[in-house]
Amino acid sequence: MSTVIIGLSLGMLLFLLASGLTLIFGMLGVINFAHGALYMLGAYLAFDVQLRTGSFIAGLAAATAGVGLAGMAMERLALRPLYSRPHFYQLILTFGFILVISEAVKIVWGLGYQETPMPAALAGTVELAGSTIPVYRLFVIAFGLLVSAALFFVLEKSTFGMLVRAASSDGEMVRILGLPAAAIRSAVFGVGAALAGLAGAISAPLFPIELGMATNTIIDCFIVVILGGLGNIRGVVAASLLIGMVRAVGYTFMPSWVDILTFAMLIATLLTRPQGLFSRQARLA
Amino acid sequence: MKTSRQNAAIAACVAAVVLAVPFCTQNDFLLNLSILIMVWSIFAVGFDLVFGLLGMVSFGHAAFLGTGGYALALATQRYGLSFEAGLGLAILAGAACAWIFSIFALRVSGIFFALVTLALSQLMYILADSKLREWTGGADGLPGIGRPELAGIDFFDTVNFYWYVAAVFALVIALMAMLRASPFGRAVAGVRQNEIRASQLGYNVQRLKQITFLVSGAIGGLAGGLLAAVLMYMNPQMLHWTTSGDVIIMTLLGGAGTLWGPVAGVLLFEALKEWLSGWTPYWYGILGLVFILATLYFPQGVLGALQARWGRSRPASPASPADGGTAPAAPLAPREGSLS
Repeated sequence: MSTVIIGLSLGMLLFLLASGLTLIFGMLGVINFAHGALYMLGAYLAFDVQLRTGSFIAGLAAATAGVGLAGMAMERLALRPLYSRPHFYQLILTFGFILVISEAVKIVWGLGYQETPMPAALAGTVELAGSTIPVYRLFVIAFGLLVSAALFFVLEKSTFGMLVRAASSDGEMVRILGLPAAAIRSAVFGVGAALAGLAGAISAPLFPIELGMATNTIIDCFIVVILGGLGNIRGVVAASLLIGMVRAVGYTFMPSWVDILTFAMLIATLLTRPQGLFSRQARLA
Repeated sequence: MKTSRQNAAIAACVAAVVLAVPFCTQNDFLLNLSILIMVWSIFAVGFDLVFGLLGMVSFGHAAFLGTGGYALALATQRYGLSFEAGLGLAILAGAACAWIFSIFALRVSGIFFALVTLALSQLMYILADSKLREWTGGADGLPGIGRPELAGIDFFDTVNFYWYVAAVFALVIALMAMLRASPFGRAVAGVRQNEIRASQLGYNVQRLKQITFLVSGAIGGLAGGLLAAVLMYMNPQMLHWTTSGDVIIMTLLGGAGTLWGPVAGVLLFEALKEWLSGWTPYWYGILGLVFILATLYFPQGVLGALQARWGRSRPASPASPADGGTAPAAPLAPREGSLS
């Protein structure tokens, strides 16, 4: 049972991360290489604010808002001039941001590992089907579900979601209709980045915070979005849970093979369904 | 033929500098830096075959550098082969690794190609770091990698090794120049400009891509073998994906799609690195910032910009973007079906 819970919570964390990546890709056509760096920035911000105020909620809010704003600034200053150029310029540009963000974090918080204390209200454990489960893991799962529901609702049902979808399918037309297409793009990028910051804050009490987060997690994210089909939020939910479960089961039974197992899944997917496990369209990108 | 004349002029300048360095300085640090620049140039020039000539972004070239390095280390240390045989194996290992990558990565294109090559090279990194520890020494790496022994010359002497690397460097550049000018090179450039047109003309596009990737991997392996010998040490860090990022930075700073652009980029990268790390420990971030600005305002790179200016001052000969593939505004033209 505890393996299942760990797998689900890992999967939900991955989903929080990958959903931002895939949202930005699906709506703007940009692969944000710096997504992992934004996630790391979120974790550090949450750690810092929580240390100062003693409140987990404040840390969570600061990380989400701070990273969201950083993302918007990034989009406004650096990505906007590049939309007309071939797509890999954006990919390469965001790689530059990894270096800049990592260095900024190094300047502010130093090189060492940081530990965030578990919020007191979520620090306990509960008995579930005969095994002891940390409450925080359950909180991560619930929170992930909440965010995914909110994301679906906003994108599929709200007026803002409609505008976003319109701007992604034909930005020029949206602009001609007198709607602020550029601002919508900034907002989407900001929301995607904020999701990374949120994921960072959520993961802060679970893992030590360190600089390697920026580069290690982004690979997992990429695996998730390739398996799920880029730009496909439903696929990302399924793929995150799949990877999360594989990791949790792997850690229990054959810890040294976990990474290789994940990559084997990626390769198997590419050989059999290069468009992604959960995508119906052919991937011609 | 204007670009080829420029290339010849640059070649003459570079040759003069390469020949002059050991006579101007006996300083070990400067000589080692020059050797490093040449080795990284070999890597970057090979990388640009895929990036600039074929127009595909590979984020996995670190894997070829790494397999080359390990091939040389294992061949010379474990099996006692000669340095040259080790270098040969490094080339083969790089090519083999590229071949395996191409089986998976060429099933997708555009941005997905970058992601898949990235994931595969990261798999190689994890393998080298943990699963193959018995062979690779894990995170501790393999120390004490040898240098060539030819005709009784001591290549542990920096000046002698400098000449050895310079000879390989010259050979690789000459090969690349010929490759780019050959019908094969023209066909690959044709694939970049319009894949559908190239296939309609009867070219086997998939085969061309695969061969280009293979050659690029082979050169990466060669560079890896040399790099291991320069550092006399090999560890998994060479396989880390930030190495792949570094070579992209180098190539783009210098000018993708040109013969000498990647070399100029490596020179700039190493010079910036030495200069910046002299006065701040945070040089990598500043380099990132320089790179961001360069991508935004200077996408054709130093050499691309120079060649564009050169071309403008002599309007008599129309610029031929086909030659070397540098249409100034877009060194890598968007291809049909790129993501939208």
